[in-house]
Parts: sequence; C-alpha cells; structure tokens
Amino acid sequence: MQGASSGIGYGLKYQARCISDVKADTDHTTFLAGTLSLKEENEVHLIRLSSSGTELFCEGLFSHPNEIWDLVSCPFDQRIFSTVYSNGETYGAAIWQIPELYGELNSPQLEKITSLDGHAGKIKCILWWPSGRHDKLISIDEENLYLWSLDASKKTAQIQSQDSAGMPHKISGGAWDPHDVNSVAATFESSLQLWDVRAMGKTISIECSHVRSVDYHPKRKHVLVTAEHESGIHIWDLRKPKVPIQELPGHTHWTWIVKCNPEYDGVILSAGTDSTVNLWLVSLGNDDVSTESQTESPTHWVDPLINTYSDYEDSIYGLTWSSREPWIFASLSYDGRVVVESVKPFISKK
Amino acid sequence: MMVADEVPLDDKAKRMRDLLSSFYSPESAMSTGTDSAKHASPDDINSNSFDPDHYMNLMVHKSNLEGLLQRHVEMAAEIKNLDTDLQMLVYENYNKFISATDTIKRMKSNISGMETNMEQLLEKIMSVQSRSDSVNTSLFDKREHIEKLHRTCNLLRKVQFIYDLPDRLNKCIKSEAYADAVRFYTGAMPILMAYGDSSFRDCKLASEEAMATIVKNLQGKLFSDSESIQKRAEAAVLLKQLEYPVDNLKAKLLEKLDQSLKDIQLKPEEIKDVSVDLTPSEASINEFVEAVRAFRVIFPDSEEQLVTLAKDLVTKNFAIAEEYVQTRVCAADLLGVLRVIWNDVLLLDEVLQEAALSNHSLEAAKAVVMSYIKSAFSHLLQDISDSLLKVLKKDGMGEYSLEVALDASTKAVLQGGMNILQEFRKLLDHNSGILVRLRELTIDFVQEGIQDFFRQLEDHFLRFSGRNNSSAFKDHGLVEGAQGDKAFAGLVLVLAQLSAFIEQTVIPKITEEIATSFTGGSVRGYEYGPAFVPGEICRKFRSAGEKFLHLYVNVRTQRISFLLKKRFSTPNWVKHKEPREVHMFVDLFLQELEAIGTEVKQTLPQGKRKHRRTDSNGSTASSRRNPLREEKLNRSNTQKARSQLLETHLAKLFKQKVEIFTKVEYTQESVVTTIVKLSLKSLQEFVRLQTFNRSGFQQVQLDIQFLRIPLREIVEDEAAIDFLLDEVIVATAERCLDPIPLEPPILDKLIQAKLAKSKEQNAIPS
Repeated sequence: MQGASSGIGYGLKYQARCISDVKADTDHTTFLAGTLSLKEENEVHLIRLSSSGTELFCEGLFSHPNEIWDLVSCPFDQRIFSTVYSNGETYGAAIWQIPELYGELNSPQLEKITSLDGHAGKIKCILWWPSGRHDKLISIDEENLYLWSLDASKKTAQIQSQDSAGMPHKISGGAWDPHDVNSVAATFESSLQLWDVRAMGKTISIECSHVRSVDYHPKRKHVLVTAEHESGIHIWDLRKPKVPIQELPGHTHWTWIVKCNPEYDGVILSAGTDSTVNLWLVSLGNDDVSTESQTESPTHWVDPLINTYSDYEDSIYGLTWSSREPWIFASLSYDGRVVVESVKPFISKK
Repeated sequence: MMVADEVPLDDKAKRMRDLLSSFYSPESAMSTGTDSAKHASPDDINSNSFDPDHYMNLMVHKSNLEGLLQRHVEMAAEIKNLDTDLQMLVYENYNKFISATDTIKRMKSNISGMETNMEQLLEKIMSVQSRSDSVNTSLFDKREHIEKLHRTCNLLRKVQFIYDLPDRLNKCIKSEAYADAVRFYTGAMPILMAYGDSSFRDCKLASEEAMATIVKNLQGKLFSDSESIQKRAEAAVLLKQLEYPVDNLKAKLLEKLDQSLKDIQLKPEEIKDVSVDLTPSEASINEFVEAVRAFRVIFPDSEEQLVTLAKDLVTKNFAIAEEYVQTRVCAADLLGVLRVIWNDVLLLDEVLQEAALSNHSLEAAKAVVMSYIKSAFSHLLQDISDSLLKVLKKDGMGEYSLEVALDASTKAVLQGGMNILQEFRKLLDHNSGILVRLRELTIDFVQEGIQDFFRQLEDHFLRFSGRNNSSAFKDHGLVEGAQGDKAFAGLVLVLAQLSAFIEQTVIPKITEEIATSFTGGSVRGYEYGPAFVPGEICRKFRSAGEKFLHLYVNVRTQRISFLLKKRFSTPNWVKHKEPREVHMFVDLFLQELEAIGTEVKQTLPQGKRKHRRTDSNGSTASSRRNPLREEKLNRSNTQKARSQLLETHLAKLFKQKVEIFTKVEYTQESVVTTIVKLSLKSLQEFVRLQTFNRSGFQQVQLDIQFLRIPLREIVEDEAAIDFLLDEVIVATAERCLDPIPLEPPILDKLIQAKLAKSKEQNAIPS
C-alpha cells in the first residue's frame, strides 16, 4: 500500500496516537512511539532510522501497563520519557526510564521513575522544560496545570505550584514557550490561554475556536501556531493577539496537530483526520516588525501549501520533526503506522 | 515777336532780335552781349570782339583765291541784306515813336483839369464824416442800453431756467423722462456749481432733491427686475452721466446678477418632462443671457466678472447634476439634465466667448458622467447587497426564504447589470451635444466601472462571509444565536450559488454586451489593454464561489460537530446505562440535516443522483462485512475481539479505499453528502476519544443503526456513508472495554419504537 511514496514505514502492533522525537539522542535519529489499545498489552517502541536513512528498525520494545495518550521524550536524557495513560476509566501520568537492555527485544519492563499523581480529570499532556537539563515539568489535565519538580535520582516528583483553568471549557493541550521559559500556552475549546509559570497566573488570552494543537515558533519570539478543528491553522503574534497574522486552510477534516520545523523558518507541518500530512511554507517576513506588512500585501500571494503526504490509511494524530536531522519528520497514523519522510526536496527549492 | 515766329533761326533773325532787345532793354542786351561774348572769338564776325585783320589773315591763310572770292561775294550779299533790315527797323520803330509822342501830349492836357475835382471830393467826404460822427454820438447811449437789456434778458432766461429746474425735473420725473432731466441738470450744473452756495441755494437744493429722486428712481429701475434690460441699461448710462459712482453700481448689479443666478437652480426633477419647451430654469437662463448681453453693453469692462459668473453658474449646474446622479437616475434623466446644461452653456457661450465655457463644461461633464457611472454601479452593488442581506433578516413568519433571496439577487445581478449597460448605451447612442465628445471616455469609464464593480462585488461577498457570526448580527441588530447562525449559513450558501451564477451566466452576457456596444475607447492607451477583463473576474468569482461553498459546508459541519461533541464528551461512557431508546441527538442531527436540505434545495441545482447502490464493491463489501462482524461480536469472546482489529484491516485491504473527501460541487446532493461525510467523520473522531462500556457501545450502535436509513435517503454516495457509519461502529468497538453488540431483534424493536414515536410527533403538529 506504500505506492510511490518516498516515506519509510514502520508498523506498530496496535493503534497509536503519539510519537516523540528523542531529542537527547544526538548520535541517531530516534523516535519513541506508544500504542493505544484498550485491551491489549501496550507497547513503547524505540524506533531508529538507519544511518543510510532508508530503513526504520526497532531499537527497543517495551511493554507499558496502560494505553498511552501522550508520550514525550525527555529533552536531556534519551532514556527518560513521560507518558499519559489511561486504563479506560482513570488517567495517570508517569516518568519512565528505559532499562539498559539494548539488543534484547523481549518487551522488558520499563523502569518507572515516578508517577505524577494528583490529577483528578483526564490528563492531557506533559511538558518538559523546553531546553537544557532542568528538573521542571508541567502536567496539564482538563482543568488544572501542575508544575512539578523532578528528581530523577531520588525518583520523586513534587508539585511546586498549581493553578486551575477556572473556565467552563476544558483544556485540550499545551506548549512551553522556548523563548520565555516562564510562559506556557494551553489550548481551550474557545481560546488560547497563556500562563506565567512563576506566579502560576494567567496572562494573555487569544480568542480562537476549537484549538487542538499549539506550537511555538522555535526561532521567532512571540510567534506561535495553532491548529483548529474547523478553521485550519492560524499563526499568531502574541503582541497582537486580536487577529492572526496568517491563516492557512488546514485540512479537509480536522487539523489535529501542527509542528514548526526546529531549523527552517516558516516550514510548518500539520496532520489531520483526513489522513494527510501537509507541508506548509509560510513567509513571516525578515523581521518581526515586518510581519504586518507581509500580511497586508497579498499581491505576491503564493500557495503556502507545498506538499501533501496522503499515503495514510487512517487519521494521523502523531507528528514530530527530528531535531537531529531537521528535514526529517515522523508521522503516526491511528492504525499504528509510523512513516518517516524527508522534506528535503521541498526545502532545498526555496 | 516776329522773330520768334520765324522759326529758322538764322544769323540774320538772331541779329535782329538782339538789336531790338538791346533797344528796349539794355540789360537784356547786355546779357545777350555777354552771352555772345562767350562764343566770341576774333574770327566770329558777329561777335563784339571781332578783329577784322585777324579774320582777314585767317581767311587769307585758310582759303584759296576762289574761296576768298566766293566769301567776298557772300559777304557783299550779306551786307546788303543787313542794310535793308536796318532800314526796315528804323521805319517801324519810328512810327511807334510818333504815336507815343502823340499819346503823351494828350495825357498832359487831361491831367491839368483833375486837381480841382479832387479837391471838391475831399471836401465832400469831410462833411460826410462829420455828420456820421454826430449821428453816432447821438445813438450811442440807446445802443448801450439795448445791449445791456439784451444781456439781462439772457441772464434772466437762464435764471428762469434754473428756477424752473426743480419743477421741470419733477415734471420729468412724473413723465419718467429721465434722460431729459439728466440733460437739464447737467446743463444747469455749471451755474449751480458757481452760485449754488449764494443766490440759488434754494433752487439748487430743490433740484438736487429732485435729482436725488431721479437717481433713486434710476437706481430703482436699475435694480428692478420688472424693467427690461434695455431700460435698465439706459438707467445705468444716465447714472453714469450723473457721475454717480458706477463701479459701485456695477458691483451691486453684479451682485444682483449673482443673486439671480442663485435662483437659477437647476432642478433636475423638472427636466424629466421633456415635452415642456421652456422650463423655468431655461427661462431664467435666457434672462441671464440677456442680462449678460446688456451688461456687456453697459459696462464694457465687466467681462471678467461675467466670465466668473458664467463659470460659476455652469460649475454649479454641473455640481447639481453630479449630486443628482448620486441618487438613482436613469440615463434619460441624466441626458435631459446634460442637455439642458449644455444648451445653457451654448447660450452663454454665444454672449461670452471669452469664458471658453464649452471646454470648461466638457471637463465638468466628464466628471458627471464618471460619477454617474460610478454611482450607477454603486447602486447596483447596494441593490445586490440589500437583496442578499434580506437573508439575514427575519420577517414575521420565519426566515426569509433563501430561494426568494437567491432569485432576487441573481435577478439583481443579471438584470441590474444588463440594465445598467443599457442605460450606458443610451449615453453612447445619444448623438448630440456634449456626450459625443465624451464617447470614448465614457466607454473607458464603463469598462473600468464594470471591472471595478465586480471586484467590489466580490469584495462585498467576501466581507459578508468573512464577518464572524456575532459581529455580523450585532451590526444589523438581527436575530441572535442559533437562528442567526443559521441565517448566516444561508447567506453564505446564497453567496456561493450567486458567485457561480455570476461566473457562468452574468459575466459571459456582460462580456458580450460590452463587446457589442462598448468597444473603441482608446483613451486609456493600448498598452494597458481593455479595462474590463472578464477572465480575471471569472477566476475571482469561481474561487470565491468555491470558498463560499466550503465555508457553508464548514459552518454547517461546525454546528453539527458542536452537537456531536456535546453528545460524546458529556456523559461518562464507561458507566453508561443500558440503551432504552435511540438518543435524541440523532433527532437533532437529522433536524440539522433537514435544515441544510431545505436551504440547499432552495438555492442549488439538483445534481445527477449517483446510484451507488448497484455498482460499488464498497457497498457489497460493507454488507458482507456487517454480518461477519456481528457474528463475530456475538461470540462475546474477548479473545476473539483481539483479532477484530486485524480483520478490520483485512476488510479494508479488500475494500476499495473509499474516497471520503471529494470535491464539493454545486449540487444539492454534493453539499449534503459532504456535510454528512464530514459529520460522520467527526463522529468517528469523537468516539475515538472516549472509552465505552458495553452499554455505551450498544447505545452508539443503536444510534448509528437508526441513522443509517435516513442518511441513505439524502446522500448521493451511499457507499461512502455506509463505510463511515461502519467506521463509527468499529471505532466504538475498538474503544469499548466489552464490545458486545445488541441482538438484532432488540435493535429492530428499539428502532421501530423510535420510528413510531417520531411519526406520532410528526402527526401531532400536522
């Protein structure tokens, strides 16, 4: 079924929603993916791209006690990652360590460093301190934000501070500002809300509906991208929160996730429930200030959509760029298929 | 005298004459003497300095004997001749002398008696003179007296005149003979000036009073509208003669003219009636023209002001016209107005060529035509907008029917567009006056106008659709909330269809019309090409139409999505109770679809219904799959359920990949199908986010089963819908802890119960 696609495929055994780039692994391009199966034994796959870049192979396969709704690799230790899991009724979050058992693929047990207890509602996601070795973590459930202090050696995590959304709508996800480590964005049904981590208080709020995913621009301060169910992708400048500086049409059905390329400016990847991954190239102007004039001169309007990857069978919920080779991304569709693609042919054009 | 008569001037005659003349006047003889002395030479025999010896010698030397002899003979003859001549002369002159002497004698005797006579005469004259002197002296006194009297009489007459002057002037005032009055007054003026302060004070005062009346009357005349211009002009002349400050008058008069111009308000409404020959404004224009003419006569230096005035008038008229075209006017009215103005201009041009009014008004007319075209388009735009926005308004009974709105707007666009072009054509066909000169410009204006119009129309459309719901309805104070949402969706749908209509029908027609009637405007220059580019407009509207259609689908899907989201995220599915009946969200869902169906039916054309029922392996696959899975699920074995996923995948492998997201077309079915597809896909996604217990799964199964039949009815792609419905059930099963489906009989029973209930509900209101 792969057809003429250039993508490299890898099959998980079960349905899956989340895939994460292993940022701390600087030697290899590695991804972590977790499955989502109610009834089966769930697994976490450590997938590595061969050095030739033509093959994906399983570097490690670990069983995970519950179905995984969120999985993030620790940005400073390649063996540590966090998951949000559910047994169908209740949700939990935990920090895991991959055991030193390379080469052995017999689903060894993961070492649980600690679990982040205290959540009542559905846990949505866990955010790691955006850069460098740091002990702070944020976990977000439908109503609350928790800031944790993690001590990996002592295997403990403590709640530093906490704030509740205090809104009728529930939180659906979030992102940690890489430029300002004190700022965290959380998505709501009808808005995007920013928190100041130090005071644990709300700051800016942006009105937009059905936000599903949010990602900060890795290079430009104040710029972030949101994916919304119905109305596509919006690019915002936090200094001008009234109107988005740019809009992209998004997907035929919901736009589920959106990711800015860590290296190339304006390269944005989005995935949706219409079983496609779209590659966008957005011109944000040379300077932050000139973004305004950019949006106001639509004369040189070019289609920002540069490619659509449609070789998928089901909705795509997992999407990540490789931070080691920033022209490579991994996508994960619901049927458990990991596809790694290179956007090099499109980026080199520009 | 005889000598003169003797033409041959020979020596003899000459000599004679010389002799005679020397006799009568020695001076002349002298002169002749000197004259002859000029030629004198000793050998010339006739000269005074003749030297006989020298001559003799010369002769002897020169001539031979024979010659000498001959000369001798000749000379002898000559001497003889001379002697006779001399004798004759003497006789003649002697006679004369005798008579002269006689005459003198007689005179002597006559004069001697005269002296006494003379003395007598002198005496008499002396006496006459003395007498006359005495008479003179005796009459002198009387004469003096008479002369004095005469002078006094003259003076008195003048005094009389001056004393009479006031009366006379008054009489003149009565008879309105102002010209005479002025003449009298100016005649008396020097005296009045000289003696006005002393003797004639009263008189002067009285006449000045009278003159003041006259001046007043004259001024009154000058400023009275009832007087004819000629009379007023005369009055002005008279005033001028009276050394009245005319400049002041002129200024006043001009002011008055100016004021009268203000009354010449062009009233476009009046012009509509073309049959009336002389509208009031035309009459007043004629008057103005007369006035101008008279003015030029009276005040020759007033051209500049008049030009300004005329220009002002024309400018004002054009301004009125320009204002007038801002309101809705038809081309005929505009033409009428322009015709009137142009006539006025021509009239004025006759009397005031300096003003170059026709050029001036050409510019102004250009502006008027341009603004007419602009305003015509903007009105059309307004019409279209109005008819569109009616969708948003709610009249008493319910929403404004989309069908009516669409009808109205398509009509507005097509009819309006064609009408407007017809109107413009009238401008072009009008072959007189100013418009002929503007023909090319008009064509350009029209082309530019239409291009602009469509651009703006598209802009308007986008603006309508771009407004997010709340602001749009707050702006208009229209229906709020759900109703408003619905109306907005309707508007978008109408916009979509309208855009398609414009692209497919209106633009070609208009292009045709433009091509037949509005070509040849070349002022723009060829390098720019024609102003109207139908291709561009078509492209714009096509993309706009698609955008609107998508927007409609999005808006509608969003509403359904909201409904579904509420349905699936609210209950705790893990603790769901056993299904008793089909959940009411299904009703809401179907209601929404029904509403969409109505909207779509009102606006979009019916498409070819694709009967997928017969062909597709999709549907056979699903029908084959259904019992398969049910059977499998029936086994209620978790162990078996494990392989379920694999089988689903397997089924998918064998099944043709159903294209869920196809392009939306401008048909009722396509739109509805797309919305249903998107909704079902959303449903599936919502399901995937939940975890179900057995009852929850069964509830979803029941709801979906119930949906299956009505959905099939309204969509064109049954295979895809079946597939999606199955997908929902599969997704639910996947997310279910204990996926045991309902037994078919129970399923049937519950569905029948629901059907019966809804039938009952339908029966009650009807």
